Amino acid sequence: MRKDETRGHLHPISSLIREANLIFLQMGFTLVEGPLLESEWYNFDALNVPKDHPARDMQDTFYLKNEPGYVLRTHTSGLQIRYMTEQVKKGIMPPYRIIAPGKCFRNEATDMTHEAEFFQIEGLAVGEDITLAHLKGTFEKFFSEIFKGDVEVSFRPSFFPFTEPSIEVDMRLTGINVTEKLRGKWIEVGGAGMIHPQVLENSGLDSKKYQGWAFGPGLDRLAMLKWGIDDVRLMHSGDLRFINQF
Amino acid sequence: MKISREWVQEFLNHPLPNAEKISNALTFHAFEVENIEKKGKDDILDVKVTPNRGHDCLSHRGIAKELSAILKIPMKNDPLRVSASLEPKTDLVSIKVEESNLCSRYIACYVQGVKVGPSPEWLSKRLLSIGQKSINNIVDAANFVMFDIGQPLHAFDADKLVAHKGKYNILVRRAHEREKMLTLDNKEYILTNSTMVIADGNNDTPLGIAGIKGGSYARVDSATTNLILEAATFNGPSLRRTAQALKLQSDASKRFEQVLSPELAVYAMQAFITLVKEIAGGQVVGFSDTYPTPQEKKEIIVSVNQVNAVLGTKLRDSEIIDTFECLDLPFREEDGLFTVSVPFERLDLSIPEDLIEEVARIIGYDKIPTVELPLFSKKPEINENFQKTESLRNDLVSKGYSEVYTSVFRNKGEREVLNKIGGDKPFLRDNLALGLKEALEKNIHNKDLLGVEKIKLFEIGTIWSRDNETIHIGTIREGEEIRETSLEEARVDVERENLPLFKTLHYQPFSRYPAITRDIALFVPRDASPDEIEKVIREHAGKLLVRLRLFDKFKKGDKISYAFRLVFLSQERTLTDEEVNTAMQKISSKLTENKGFEIR
Repeated sequence: MRKDETRGHLHPISSLIREANLIFLQMGFTLVEGPLLESEWYNFDALNVPKDHPARDMQDTFYLKNEPGYVLRTHTSGLQIRYMTEQVKKGIMPPYRIIAPGKCFRNEATDMTHEAEFFQIEGLAVGEDITLAHLKGTFEKFFSEIFKGDVEVSFRPSFFPFTEPSIEVDMRLTGINVTEKLRGKWIEVGGAGMIHPQVLENSGLDSKKYQGWAFGPGLDRLAMLKWGIDDVRLMHSGDLRFINQF
Repeated sequence: MKISREWVQEFLNHPLPNAEKISNALTFHAFEVENIEKKGKDDILDVKVTPNRGHDCLSHRGIAKELSAILKIPMKNDPLRVSASLEPKTDLVSIKVEESNLCSRYIACYVQGVKVGPSPEWLSKRLLSIGQKSINNIVDAANFVMFDIGQPLHAFDADKLVAHKGKYNILVRRAHEREKMLTLDNKEYILTNSTMVIADGNNDTPLGIAGIKGGSYARVDSATTNLILEAATFNGPSLRRTAQALKLQSDASKRFEQVLSPELAVYAMQAFITLVKEIAGGQVVGFSDTYPTPQEKKEIIVSVNQVNAVLGTKLRDSEIIDTFECLDLPFREEDGLFTVSVPFERLDLSIPEDLIEEVARIIGYDKIPTVELPLFSKKPEINENFQKTESLRNDLVSKGYSEVYTSVFRNKGEREVLNKIGGDKPFLRDNLALGLKEALEKNIHNKDLLGVEKIKLFEIGTIWSRDNETIHIGTIREGEEIRETSLEEARVDVERENLPLFKTLHYQPFSRYPAITRDIALFVPRDASPDEIEKVIREHAGKLLVRLRLFDKFKKGDKISYAFRLVFLSQERTLTDEEVNTAMQKISSKLTENKGFEIR
C-alpha cells in the first residue's frame, strides 16, 4: 500500500507547453528560450516600441535597481529579435519557424485574472511568402488540437508597435469534446500580426525580401480556458490540490 | 473615449444603424467597443481607440469617418476638409515660443465683445451626454470642439493680461524651477523646468500648464468680454512626462500625449471662432500664428500585388480603390501602383504596410482565407535545454514528485526590482529552496486529502545571482534535505517513456475549507472482501466523504485487520467534529451488523 510509489503530476503550464511543442514541431517549428531579465533593446527598442511609449512606464514594467537598460521581460516577443539576429549572424537565412514559450512579467496587483508573473507563447514564421492567411491556418490547427474540437478563427484589428497589420485573435469551438462553457462562443485568445518591416530590419533581415507573422497568446489564459481554471493565482500557488488534478 | 451616437450622426448623410450594429462595425473594422450605454434616445459607446489612432480618432469626427468608411455612409460634412483661414492677422497679440520642438505651432485669436453666459441647451446636452459638465458658453465651446474634432483649445480673459502699448504677448516657455501655478480648479502645483507653461510675455505671469490645464489667473468668468483664444500643438512625449510627474491628466493632455498634427489647430480654431460668435457674440480682431516648420506632406506607394502578398488574398484593383475612396485617402493609380497622399491628420500612415492594414480592416479580416503553412523545408532544430528539462520532468513525475511554480519574487536576493506595486518582495530569488520549502509546508496538512503518504515537490525555474541568470532544478521531500542544482549540472537518470499528455479534461475548483480525517480499523473474517467494506463505508459516510483508502492490513489468527483512512470535506463550510463523528458512528454500526466484524 505504498502510495509513495504513485506518479506525481506535471504543472498544467508545463503540460500545455509540452503539447504545444508537439503540435508546432509537426509544422516545423523549433522551440527557443531566452533570459527573463532582458535588455531594453530586445524587449522594447528592437520591437519598434519608442522610448516614450506608455508600455515602458514604471507602473507597467519591472526595472532593476542599479541596472539601467534592463527589465524583466514584459513579453516573449524579444525572442523574435534574439533568434533572428542569431541566425543572421550565423549566416542562416529564412525560412524561420519558432515558438518561444516562457514566463513574462508586468508590474501589477494580482487578482483572479491578473498576475505579475504570467506565461506567453510566442510564435514566429518568416519566409519569402508567409502571409496572414497562413496565420489563420496555423491558429486553426493549434487550437483544434489543444481544445480537441473544431475551431473557427477570426481576426479583429488591433495595434502593436512590432506588427503591421496588427490583429486580435478570437476563436469559436464546436464538437462534442469541447466543454459546454466554451462551445459555440467567440473567445478572445491573444494578439498577433505581420512582423513590422522595421523589426525585420532590426534583426538584420531585408524586409523587401522577407516577411512573416508573429503571435503571442497568454498561456495562462489558454490553460484556464482548456481546463476551466477559475483563478490565475493558482498557477503560482504551489498547492497540490490544484496541481494534482493534472 | 465616450462617443454619442446622435453626435456622430451629425456628420453623416444617412441614418446610422442601431448601437449594436455600430459597435460590431467598429469592433471588426476599427476599434473595440467596451460598453454601450443607453441615454434617453441616444446611445453612448465607450470606444477603445488604439494608440496609433489617437491622432485622429479621439473625436466624434474621427469615429464618424471610420463609420462612414465601414458602413459606406457618405460624410455630410467634414470639418477637416473645409477651407480654414487665419485672416485677418493682428499685431495686437504676438507669440513667442522659446523651444519650437516642444510647441510646434501656436495660434492665437483676439476676440472682443463677447458675452459670457450659460450655453444653449443643445450644447450642454451634447457635453452632458458624454459625461462633461457645462461651465459657460466659452469654456463649453472649447470643450465641444475638442470632443468634436480632437484638438484641445483654451480661452484666456484678455483683460487679465498686461497690454504693453496696447499689445499682448503670449510666451511659451519652460517653467522656472519651483514656479507656482494655481490651476482653474484652484489647486496649486509646484513646477520644474521640464514643464512647459503659457505665460503673459509682458510680465512673465504663468497663465496655464501647456496642453494640460489652464490657470486660474486669466480664467474666463461672467465679467469677461475680451478673449485670447489658443489652438496650439505641444510635444506629446514631453507633455506625457509632465502630466505624469504632476499626476495631472486631462482630456486635453490625453490628446496631446497621442501626438496631434499641427495642421489640425487651424481647423479647430476656425470651429472655435464660429461657435463662439454664434453663442457668445463678439468680433474677431485678428489672428496670430507661429508655425516655423510646417508638417511635411507624405505619399505612400503600394501595389495590389503587395497587398495580396502580405494578406494572402486575391483582391483586385477595384477593391483597393474602393477602400481608399471609402477612407477618403486621395490617391492616383498607375500600372497597378497606388500613390496615396496621406491626409494631415493620419499620422499613423507612413509605410506600405500601414495601407495594407487599412485595406485588410476595411474589407474585413473575415475575407482573409485560411491557408495551411507550406511544408517546412528545413529540419527543426532540437532544443537541448528543453529536452533535458522534459526528461527531468518525466523522471521526477514517475518518482512521485509533483511540479510547482513558485514566485520569483522574494524578501531577499542579490538583485532588486524598482517600484514594485505593493512594495512586497522586491528581490529576485537566488535559490529555489526557500520557495519549495514554503510550498511543502503549505501542502503538508493536506496529505490525507491528497491521498499521498509524503509530499514530494519539484520546480524547474530561473534564479539570479549578482551577475548571472541560471535555470535551477530543486526537489523537496518531506523529512529529507532539499536538493537543488543548476540545470547544467543536473543528471538525467534514464530517459523514460513520455508521459501521456493529459489525463485531465476539466479542473474542479477545490474546497477552500479544512478537511477532517478519521481512521477506522476492524477485524473481519478472512473471507470478507475489503472492497465490500469500502462499499459499505461509502454508502453510509454521506456526500462529505471525499477520500477513502485502505492503509493497513494484517492477519491475526482466523481474522484479518483492515484499517481505512477517511477524509471529509465540504465545498461550502468548515465541518464540525460532531457531524463527522455522527457519520463515523453510522459507518461503525452498519459494519458491525455483519457477523464477525469487530471495530478495533
